[in-house]
Amino acid sequence: MPSAPPIPDTVLRGLLNKAMADVLITMLSMDSKLTWVSDDHPEADPPPLSSNAPQVVGAVGFIGEVNGLIYLHLEDAFARAVTCRLLGLEPADVEAEGDEVVNDAVGELTNMTVGGFKNALCDMGLPCKLTIPSILRGSNFTIEPVASALRHIYQFEVDGHRMTADLLMKYGD
Amino acid sequence: MRYKILTVDDSKTVRIIVKKAFKSFDCDILEASNGVEGLAIASKESPDVCLLDITMPVMDGVEMLTKLKSDPLLKSIPVVMLTAEGGREHVLKIAKIGVRDYIVKPFKEELLVEKVMRIVDLKPVSEANQKSKTIFDPAEILVVEDKPAIVQQIQDGLRQTPWRVHGVSTTGEAIDFCSRTIPDLVMASLSLPEDGGFTLFRMLRTNIKTKFTPVFALVVKTETAVQQQALQVGFSAIITKPIDFPELETRMAKAMNLDTSLRYFGIEESTLILRLPEHTAAVTVNEVTGYMKGKVSGAVDNGVSRAVIDISKLKNLDMTVIKLLFSFMQTCSEVAVQYVLVGNPVVAKECKGFEDTKNWSFFDSVDQAKASFKGSPAPVAQPAAAS
Repeated sequence: MPSAPPIPDTVLRGLLNKAMADVLITMLSMDSKLTWVSDDHPEADPPPLSSNAPQVVGAVGFIGEVNGLIYLHLEDAFARAVTCRLLGLEPADVEAEGDEVVNDAVGELTNMTVGGFKNALCDMGLPCKLTIPSILRGSNFTIEPVASALRHIYQFEVDGHRMTADLLMKYGD
Repeated sequence: MRYKILTVDDSKTVRIIVKKAFKSFDCDILEASNGVEGLAIASKESPDVCLLDITMPVMDGVEMLTKLKSDPLLKSIPVVMLTAEGGREHVLKIAKIGVRDYIVKPFKEELLVEKVMRIVDLKPVSEANQKSKTIFDPAEILVVEDKPAIVQQIQDGLRQTPWRVHGVSTTGEAIDFCSRTIPDLVMASLSLPEDGGFTLFRMLRTNIKTKFTPVFALVVKTETAVQQQALQVGFSAIITKPIDFPELETRMAKAMNLDTSLRYFGIEESTLILRLPEHTAAVTVNEVTGYMKGKVSGAVDNGVSRAVIDISKLKNLDMTVIKLLFSFMQTCSEVAVQYVLVGNPVVAKECKGFEDTKNWSFFDSVDQAKASFKGSPAPVAQPAAAS
C-alpha cells in the first residue's frame, strides 16, 4: 500500500503551476497566472469563479505510490471558448455539437494537466497512473473531500477568466 | 500514395486535434476510441502509423500495443504513443514493448506531424486533389493589414467569389487565426510596423501546417525596393496597391491551384461553349489557352462535335484575343468540331477592321447559335476564317 510521506505544499504548488502553464501555453497559446493558493489562506474560501454561473468541472485522479484527485473548475462560457480554441471550431459549431464536445475538451485538458503533475511525481520516485477523466456540471455547488484527504486549492487567471484547481492528496492507507 | 493514420484515443477532443493537424496532408485519419476498436481497425485497414493513447476504457493502450506486437500481421505497424502518461520509468517500460516514438501530452500539432513524417513520407494534399477544387468552391483567405479601409476594399473586391475573406491587423492575430484555421491563402501587408509582414512570412514558412500556403505581399506600387526584397524572400506573389481586382482574383485562383476552367468552358446540350469575360486581359488569355486542348479533347471524348465561341460580353477586341480565338478554332478543326461565333455589335464592327477577321459573322445569342446546328448540317453563320 502507498506509504509515501506528505509532499511539501511548496512542491505541490510548483508542480501544479508548471503543469497548468504547460497545458495552456502548448494547447491554447494562453498564459496562466497563479493568483490564489489555499495554503496561504487556511481559513478562507477561494474567490468564486462568478456568481452562480454554470460550471464545468473536469476530474482526473492518480493512483500508485501516491494517490490523489484534481478537479479543474471552469465557467461554462469560458469552457466553451476554450473548446473553440482547442479544436479550431467556431462558437456556432460548438453550440451545435452540444455539451458533449465541451465536456470532452475540459476532460482532456484536465487529463493533460493532471498528467503533467503526476508525471513529475513519477520522476520524483512516486510512480502512479492516471484514471479516466469524468465531468461534473452545474451551478452553485461545492465539493467536500473526505476528512482523510489533504486539500490544496489553487486559482489561476487565464485570459481574464478564473480557473480553479482543487487538489486532494491522500497519504497512507 | 495516400497514407492511413490510425488514432486510438478515448478522447474525441484528441482525435479532432489529430485530424486537424493532418488536414493539409495527403492522408486518411482512422479513429478508434479504445484498444479493442483499435485492433479491429488495424486488422482491417493496415494503417501506416498508429497514434496510441494509454489510459482508455475497455482495453488500454499498453494491452493493445502488446497484442499488436504479438500479431505477425500487425507487428510491423509503427506505433507512436500519444499520451498524458509520461514519467521516465513508464516511458522506458513501454518503449521496450516496441514503439517508434513517444509524445507526452500536452503536445503541439507541429510536433505530432513532424514525428509522423519521420515514419512516412507525408506530402501536402496532392496537386491532383487540389485541382478538384474549383473556382466555385469556398476558400479561407486571410488578409493581414493594419488599414481597415484596405481590408474592406479587398473584401468588397472579392465579394463575387465564394471565398471568405478574414481581416486581421497584426502578426499576432494572424498567427492566432492560423492556429485555429489553416488559410488557403494569406495576403500580408509589407507596411505593417517593425517589418511585421516579413516576420509573419517567416513564421508561416516554419510552421508545418502553413509551409505550403501561398503568401501574397501587399505593397505600394512605388515601393520597388520592398517588392524586390519580398520576391527574394520567397513571397508567392506581389500585389501592388491600388489593387487590380480581376488580376488579383486570377492570381489567387492560380496560387490556390483552383480549377478555373468552368469560368470559360462548359458543355450545354452536347455543345462545347467557350465564354470570354468582359475584360479578357493577357492573364485570362493565358489561362484559357492552358485549358483549351484538354477541354476540346475532353468534349470530343464525350461525344461533343459542336462548339460555340461566345464573345458577346467582350468590350473590345485586341490581337491577343484574336490569336486566342484562332487557336481555339484551329484546335476544333483538328478534331472535326464545328464552331460558330456569338458576338455583339462592337466586336462585330471591330472584326471588320482586321484582314483576318473581316469575314467573321456572329449570332446574337448562344441559343440562336445552338439552334443553328440543329437547323442545317453546316452552320449558317460559320466564320469565314474558320473554313
